[in-house]
Amino acid sequence: MTNTDVNYTVGIDVGGTFTDFFCSHNDGQSQTCKTPTTHYDLSVGFMKGMSLLARQNGQNLKDFMTRIASVRYSTTVGTNALIERSGPKLGLITTAGFEDTIFIGRGRSWADGLGWQEGRDQARIQKPEPLISPDMVVGIRQRMDYSGKIIGPLKKEDVLTKVQELVDKGAQGFVVSLLWSFINPAHERMIKEIIEEEYPEDYLGAMPVILSSDISPKSGEYTRTMTTIVNGYIHGVMADELNKLGNELRDSGFKKPLTLVHNTGGTKKASRTRAVLTHNAGPVAGLHGSAVLGKLTGDENIVFTDMGGTSFDIGLIEGGEIKAHDFLPVIDRWRTNIPAIEVKSIGAGGGSIAWLNELMGNALEIGPQSAGSMPGPVCYDQGGTEPTVSDADLVLGLYNAENYLGGEMLLDEELAREAIEKRIAIPLGISIEEAAYRIRRLVDAHMGQEVFNEVALKGHDPRSFVVLACGGAGGAHACGFGTFIGAKKVIAPFQSSVFGAYGASTMPIKEVWDKSYSLKLFQWADQSYLSDLEGFNNLVAELKNLATRDLRLEGYRDDQMHFKLELNMRYGSQYNMTKVRTSRLEMRDAQDIKEICDEFTRLYGETYSPEATFPAGGINVDNFSLTASVASNLKILTALDLVGAEPDHAALRKSRPIYWSPEKGYEDTPIYDYYQLHPGNKIIGPAILESPETTYVVEPGWTFTMDAYRNCIMEQN
Amino acid sequence: MSRISYSRDEEVVQRMRPEPMTETEKNAQDQIDDVEFEIFKHKMHMIGLEGKETTMKLGASTAMRFGDVAFGIFTAQGDLSVCATGIYHHAVLGQIPLKYIVKHWVDEPSVGVSDGDSFFYNDPYYAGVHNADMGLAVPVFHEGRLICFIGAAVHTGECGGSEPGGTVTAAKSKYDEGMLIPPIKIGENYQLKEDLLNMFAAMNRDPRTMILDIKARLAATRIAQRRVLDVVEEKGADFVIGGLRKILSMTGEAARKKISQLNDGIYRQPRFLDTLGEDNGLLKIDVTVIKKGDKITLNLENSSPMLMDRPANSYYQGVVGLAMVYFCGWLFHDIPTNNGLLEAIDWKFPDGSFINAKGDVATSIAPLVQITFTHGMFQCGARMTYSTMPDRSVASWFSGFSIPTFGGLNQFGDPVADITPEINATGCGARVDMDGVDAAGAFFATMADCSDVETTESDRPLLYGFRNFFSGSYGHGKQRGGAGLGFSLIIHDTPFFMMGSHGGGSKFPTTQGLFGGYGLPSLFVRKVSGSNIKALMGNSDVSLPNRLSNVYDGSNPEEGKVSFANISSVVSPVRDGDTYSSYAGGGAGLGDALERDPISIMKDLINGLVSPWAVRNIYCVVYDEDSMRLDRIATEAARLEKRKARIASGIPYDKFVAEWEKQRPPAEILTYYGNYPNPGTKALEA
Repeated sequence: MTNTDVNYTVGIDVGGTFTDFFCSHNDGQSQTCKTPTTHYDLSVGFMKGMSLLARQNGQNLKDFMTRIASVRYSTTVGTNALIERSGPKLGLITTAGFEDTIFIGRGRSWADGLGWQEGRDQARIQKPEPLISPDMVVGIRQRMDYSGKIIGPLKKEDVLTKVQELVDKGAQGFVVSLLWSFINPAHERMIKEIIEEEYPEDYLGAMPVILSSDISPKSGEYTRTMTTIVNGYIHGVMADELNKLGNELRDSGFKKPLTLVHNTGGTKKASRTRAVLTHNAGPVAGLHGSAVLGKLTGDENIVFTDMGGTSFDIGLIEGGEIKAHDFLPVIDRWRTNIPAIEVKSIGAGGGSIAWLNELMGNALEIGPQSAGSMPGPVCYDQGGTEPTVSDADLVLGLYNAENYLGGEMLLDEELAREAIEKRIAIPLGISIEEAAYRIRRLVDAHMGQEVFNEVALKGHDPRSFVVLACGGAGGAHACGFGTFIGAKKVIAPFQSSVFGAYGASTMPIKEVWDKSYSLKLFQWADQSYLSDLEGFNNLVAELKNLATRDLRLEGYRDDQMHFKLELNMRYGSQYNMTKVRTSRLEMRDAQDIKEICDEFTRLYGETYSPEATFPAGGINVDNFSLTASVASNLKILTALDLVGAEPDHAALRKSRPIYWSPEKGYEDTPIYDYYQLHPGNKIIGPAILESPETTYVVEPGWTFTMDAYRNCIMEQN
Repeated sequence: MSRISYSRDEEVVQRMRPEPMTETEKNAQDQIDDVEFEIFKHKMHMIGLEGKETTMKLGASTAMRFGDVAFGIFTAQGDLSVCATGIYHHAVLGQIPLKYIVKHWVDEPSVGVSDGDSFFYNDPYYAGVHNADMGLAVPVFHEGRLICFIGAAVHTGECGGSEPGGTVTAAKSKYDEGMLIPPIKIGENYQLKEDLLNMFAAMNRDPRTMILDIKARLAATRIAQRRVLDVVEEKGADFVIGGLRKILSMTGEAARKKISQLNDGIYRQPRFLDTLGEDNGLLKIDVTVIKKGDKITLNLENSSPMLMDRPANSYYQGVVGLAMVYFCGWLFHDIPTNNGLLEAIDWKFPDGSFINAKGDVATSIAPLVQITFTHGMFQCGARMTYSTMPDRSVASWFSGFSIPTFGGLNQFGDPVADITPEINATGCGARVDMDGVDAAGAFFATMADCSDVETTESDRPLLYGFRNFFSGSYGHGKQRGGAGLGFSLIIHDTPFFMMGSHGGGSKFPTTQGLFGGYGLPSLFVRKVSGSNIKALMGNSDVSLPNRLSNVYDGSNPEEGKVSFANISSVVSPVRDGDTYSSYAGGGAGLGDALERDPISIMKDLINGLVSPWAVRNIYCVVYDEDSMRLDRIATEAARLEKRKARIASGIPYDKFVAEWEKQRPPAEILTYYGNYPNPGTKALEA
């Protein structure tokens, strides 16, 4: 392959501090880089990163950009607009009599987006400031019932009056969400037609009209409405920003459409993306990268973890696939119903503060307060005074104060010791080192046990999972929290510091089409299977038609498309659903229905125990979810040759004493330069491996091996 | 020989506090390292959370699926050590059935307690606040040794009483209330007994929900059992036994420490309930909270006597349970939730009173009695904390219930019997430094959810006419309470249906204001039979009510036979198209309404949360009705006038008392009250 034959796929992941880039070549090579995130205009950091990649490839920006086959961008523009409340002034049109639905928020919306600890204090609860103010909500007199039957018709004059009211108050766009519109969208569509007739596109007053039945045709008016509002709120901001970026890319030589990473686990052209699907796409990209990496390492069950300074995110790969979808994902503080993949933040990181709970007999606690990135841990010497997990790691000797992040950041160990001594060691009457040890052990236990809980809630045995550790503090804590998960193997990927970008570069074109529709597959009343299959088959055909049309517009042929049908099923009047996959897109007879019901009961019993199954209570399907994808031509990373187990002498740095336990105190521990290690090298812990991006801690009882992709594999002896 | 006497066990229900520590527990507890204990505590909490989540996922009743769930790990003696719940009465009530099992069944040869067993219970004498609270527990054995119990308690809405929906408003004795099952073994060798499930199903209008809920509890407890056994395998049985006990001990110590930070004092709040069930009547709970040192004593002497033929009674333990709703959510929010908290609480319940029920009396509206008490607890607690912990000093959330109950066939012909979930969207009480939260939840189930209208309509034969904030549903004040919900239900697509209502406060408001703030208006149910509502809807009449205040402001075109009922109403048959309107109340106000920021008042007025009358007459705010512009100067003047009028209306205290004491409620509502004004019931000397 000549140099001119090489083309690139670039994955980009915007983070709070840095924007990460991963460039994979079609010949199996790759580059990475990071640029500071430019919050004032994300495109500045974006283009700077492209320039860095071009330089690493020895090319000018234009040449480099013309050779890029695909740019897969995981952006936070939409999320930022929500947090900063910089979206447009929207008007909400809903069913008369239900104008307060979004403010009622099913009652407990004050707790949405809060952790269980924050939700305990009932005396101080507050609901978040709404995205649409009450005076911008109007009710239209119309009504449908549970079956979609029209109980009250829509009247044009009522719509015109209410729309004018919103226009007079300065509406810059309309969200339309009526009761039962996911079953019968006729009235929502009529409202859109009326508005567009009144304010046609060629008028300056034309405004976007977003229908809940288009954005999220699913049951539950609160979540459906909030999904549509969030989408409408960030839609314009994202469109403006991405148009600007698209122009810059075109000017730089990249002529193809920009592709956005979706939280549903795929990518789509920016121009064919629903804004709400870009929220939290970065962690989902990382999770997808885990699945790809797992195929290389031969691991099918993986817990993806990302431990940064302020957060600890986790996601699951089950049987080599991403299966866990968030039931009602919270975006900012809003419960929605998008089919997003579940990546959960369980709120601990290197910046979590250690403190003594006097009320509970001076019990040591970690978090939930965090020093964040500013002031950050005490050892950053940026004004922090409360001891954090990172301070404890430094005191124990795990971090090299002089060579942290390749010497990019100097750490002040003395400050960390003083803070731990004052806040923890003296009150408990123990040494500074023992206090640091307790902090580390406790945070590892909390993280590990919370991960265990999350995996267990999906019906799996967490001990059969491999831990994939990303994030700045992941490599330093993976053995620690991995122990509490019961994991025997930890992978800290070579691309760990830009793993979201790596994951983005691996993602296929994919979209999920889902719709709520209730069918009693097995009837409780007469204990019979559904025989009228028309409703089932028509709905699946409708979803397939939508998906096919969409992918054709993306430029794909029918023979490139793949479809996967998942059904949300439940017994009787249960509220929560169990997802069942079926290979059939069309039901032929009651036997096909029986097979689905049997599969549901099998899965249910496997997850919750056979005693819990209750097929006689009736089995319903309430939501249909069709995933349409196009197989990606992902270039697998090139495997390097394995050398011997013994590391080169050049890899050894000066050893240092590390406090592994109160019983043994400080022990002189070998330190290695990760970049001087080779695939196949093996090191029995305890040991520390340092790279410019992170520190890997191989705890006593664990053994490190570098695999053929330069990943750090740590296995319990 | 069996120790069972086939009557209720009065001894076991007295054992609400932790059992005396056994030698094994003490030795094991003393040997646990501090950090390992914290890790263990966290792990147990994780197991509890997993159990609670799983129970909710698998359950089917309205309350279960929207969060009315408690999941716990109990010591081998039956004390509740770890509890995951937002329903804090379970933190101290969940343990009594376990103590019953330990006392009666462990050594009973015909029953026994073995690995693989499961026990069910719903008699509120042991299990909870009323018989809709149903529980299931399993023992955890390791190498033949009983280590602990795991249990799940959930409100299942239908109990097979003489009225559907779990509340028998017209009950005359406990025999009208349906299932009242003391702890009974329903499974052995990891299998539920189908004959017993069949019996439960036969006793219930909604057998499918009943069975699904039982299976949900069982599945969750079995998962937790496996988790606990993993810890036992890793750490040893003694470690787990000692750890569970240590959580209880530390909780008690922490509660006492927190109480010691409050000023000593005696705080009083007489409370009144205005319903006996299906008929009106006044009852009194004389709440006195005595804080001294590191203890709080609840003295409820002088409360009304027990009702022999009405359901407005509560067992004493239910009242203690509801006290913990206040303590766990508001004062002890930073302390674990378990019955160790009761080490810091004493109580005095008068013998023969309606809050200390005995014998066969009905208790099916006990939750209402209990929340009547809780409101007093909130009022006393706010005064008790104001000077030392002002951020704990809050006005009451809505304390009256207001729950539609129903039974019949749904639109698919399936039997249903339950409640609607608006009670989970009542207003939060005002705080010293901020307003209450609108539609915040239920104070006794703060993490519960009022559901989507579409979810309720999907399998209930109901069509909501509206569900919005109700203007004037909150208590006024310098800080106002959160708004509650007004809603209307239209009977839709059913051949057979009945509706009633559970609550109190139609005559005497249940929720009073704090520090000069206003309480809530009275509650009502408005029913229209033979309504023309569907015809009006069929024409999309724009004058149909959008909110509850429109129902009676003169604009409502609905016609039919209109009746207003007490919020405490027995179910009665309804027909397609009949309507039912009511509201779930807001939170109480705090402080003088004249000190409220006029801008905030105008905002509420524009948003329909307060009436023009209240703006003018309570807040004394002057504004232009066309432009809705505030007139600050005129407002200041109006407020000054109001203050002068208040001063002018003042009378000397002695004179006020003399006049006040002449007043007396009508005799017909004092039938069950006891001596007026002080019923005179006394606690037995210990």
